[in-house]
Amino acid sequence: MGLEDKLPEGIVTTKLEDLVNWSRANSTWPLLFGLACCAIEMIATGTARYDISRYGSELFRASPRQADLMIVSGRVSNKMAPVIKRLYDQMLEPKWVIAMGICASAGGPFNNYAIIQGVDKIIPVDVYVPGCPPRPEALLYAMDKLREKQGRETFAMRRRDDIAAAMVAPQDIAPEGGSPIGALSGLRKHAPRIPEA
Amino acid sequence: MLNVSPRRREYETLPSLNNPAIPARAPLPQGETDDTKRIVERFGDAVIAAGLHNDQQMVYIRPDQLVDLANFLKTEEKLAYEALVDVSSVDCSKLPAGETIDARFHTVYQLRSYTRKRHLTVVCPADGGSQPVVPSLAPVFEGAVWPEREVYDLMGVGFSGHPDLRRILMPENWPNHPLRKDMPLGGEPVPFTLTWEDPEFETLGKQVLPAESVAPVLPPGMNRERMIVNMGPHHPSTHGVLRLVVELDGEDVIHVDPDLGYLHSGFEKTGENKRYKDFVYYTDRMDYLSAMNNNLGYVLAVEKLLGVEIPERAQVIRVIMSELQRIASHLFWLSTHVLDISGTGMSLLMYATRERERILDLFEMVAGARLTISYIRIGGVWKDLPPAFLSHLQDLVDLLPGKFDEYETMLTAGPLWQERLEGIGRLSREEAINMGLTGPMLRGSGVDWDLRRDMPYSGYENYDFDVPVSTDGDCYGRYIIRMEEMRQSVRILKQAMANLPDGLYRTDNRKVSLPPRAELDVSMEALIHHFKLMTEGLQVPPGMAYHGIEASKGELGFYVYSDGSAVPYRLHVRGPSFNNLYAISKMCRGHMLSDIVANIGSIDIVLGEVDR
Ligand code: SF4
Repeated sequence: MGLEDKLPEGIVTTKLEDLVNWSRANSTWPLLFGLACCAIEMIATGTARYDISRYGSELFRASPRQADLMIVSGRVSNKMAPVIKRLYDQMLEPKWVIAMGICASAGGPFNNYAIIQGVDKIIPVDVYVPGCPPRPEALLYAMDKLREKQGRETFAMRRRDDIAAAMVAPQDIAPEGGSPIGALSGLRKHAPRIPEA
Repeated sequence: MLNVSPRRREYETLPSLNNPAIPARAPLPQGETDDTKRIVERFGDAVIAAGLHNDQQMVYIRPDQLVDLANFLKTEEKLAYEALVDVSSVDCSKLPAGETIDARFHTVYQLRSYTRKRHLTVVCPADGGSQPVVPSLAPVFEGAVWPEREVYDLMGVGFSGHPDLRRILMPENWPNHPLRKDMPLGGEPVPFTLTWEDPEFETLGKQVLPAESVAPVLPPGMNRERMIVNMGPHHPSTHGVLRLVVELDGEDVIHVDPDLGYLHSGFEKTGENKRYKDFVYYTDRMDYLSAMNNNLGYVLAVEKLLGVEIPERAQVIRVIMSELQRIASHLFWLSTHVLDISGTGMSLLMYATRERERILDLFEMVAGARLTISYIRIGGVWKDLPPAFLSHLQDLVDLLPGKFDEYETMLTAGPLWQERLEGIGRLSREEAINMGLTGPMLRGSGVDWDLRRDMPYSGYENYDFDVPVSTDGDCYGRYIIRMEEMRQSVRILKQAMANLPDGLYRTDNRKVSLPPRAELDVSMEALIHHFKLMTEGLQVPPGMAYHGIEASKGELGFYVYSDGSAVPYRLHVRGPSFNNLYAISKMCRGHMLSDIVANIGSIDIVLGEVDR
């Protein structure tokens, strides 16, 4: 087809963005970080039967500086919340978050004084996985969904977000008497990125 | 601070059926035993009540004599209650005033004699109204230090003479004591009826809250001049969100202070707002590596209060499940322990989880879930075993001993493995008993004690098995014990399979278990029972019960206080990992930093149970 026909064998043409997305999606390293019951299923996903290394994600990194993906596997307590927030801040861009299980997604069975009702109250989440705990297959499906999302990213989207976050003060974003959510999504560096059609 | 939502839910129990007798206090103990007779002889008027309650020995004592009583129980040869296994407390403010006692708070102690195989419950009404203070038992039993801190943290009971009374689970700046009855459960209202058009939908789940951390304080007894290192709560070898503050001199550990509560989930408070049968599902999530054991411990405590008989078949199924769970839990312990400290780590993780997956498959077969199973229910088990279960179990039982040999070939005589474990984390017999350790931690220090054999429940007296004991008291001894325990579990499984009787898999007492669906079509009575159980729940007679079982990590105890309604008035869990973890400071002192990892692995903690 086109140019590729004329090139010698073994040479492929692609867009730089696609190449970067392709490599990101195939080597997403999760943070070695377990919270509660769901962490056990996360470990099971890493073992031979489910074999997360098919996705290039078997390398759980202990340091947030080397990790791209945070799998919040379990309930987040009030005492743990600042720690999670700091770990997230320490991870380098680009980074993604999977909320594994109903606890991390919305508090789950623990609607009480101790547990935060969803980790999305403190950090932005890319993929939510239902289940208590989700089966390893469900986590793998979540990885699939994440890969889809990673494949859609463009440099321009990220750049636009960065500029917006760097240049506009929060009070400028919130219109007089406007909805507070507008203000907050401006504050959030990683507000859900929906690609324009 | 997060999650202090302005829209809180008020404390509520289910409507008590217009029954004026609810809520009611637990009746005082009646009659006498040899032990209570001795205590009454010695303490006279200071004993408010003594005797038997639900077949448990129980003594109510005035606070000023509490320490003397503890000393007496421990040192008197004819009593020999050497260990304090648990401390809990009850806030009686929602109960009617008692005839003899009107204190708002009671503290409840569980004492154990290993030589005489006896258990004793001591209840102490605290002086001081809403700012209660009782004397601390920490000078007598070292094992009281952490449980008393927990009671102080969650219930706000002060302990005079306690060496280190700080919060243990909640953050330092938490404004209240959550288990008190005037504290609401907290949480957020659930918007069940929200539609896309609701304006509230815009903000739902989108508020970004500030996550403020409390500035870390230096634990008492630590010297700033030395190097202080923070291990966790995010650390690959702490098996969860445990934080250890370590004081180092070079690489030698001077002092270790664990900081808990990063996974505190309010199990006890939640349990006090759920009906009895609904809490079974929560127990799975506590020690999530041995859900079946947790189910069993909880239902046994409730069944003790109810006084129901469990059919033979259900008992054997329960034994099969809890032994399978013990093997699964030990396999997981083995894989993570090896991963932490030995070079062959990754391969053993793969091998051991391969076998563990087969056990999980069996669980999936009986209950449809792998991890949070809730198969053991009040009155029996959820459903009968599926027809193919036994043949699959037989395959597994044939396979496992060979696999255990395989692991042992890799480890037991390995020089690296021995080097890392031998002589590390040594605890003497006296220390282990005094600190209230249980399970492999206790047996590793030479105490020949196993609740399955010495205080049998669920028909364990019918099985023939050995209790491995090691006198070394080090990590290697505990490793050998756990390996042998898995073999003994296989032995129990074989006997259980051979003797599985036919019959009911749950009790036919219709006050406790639902009638089968087919009966509803033909019997009006069954329909009424069904309706009452589903709407009102299980009515549990007033009283209190403590039941301990030998879980994979040690003694898992549930203390339940019933006021006669369908909701537990007080529910306390004695998590074995919590009490065992107390030993970490003593085990690590004088060793190297890297040995801390070996010690954590050897205690075998699960943070869900430590923090609850
Ligand atoms: S979602 Fe369920 S399994 Fe996962 S952490 Fe929460 S309670 Fe545990």
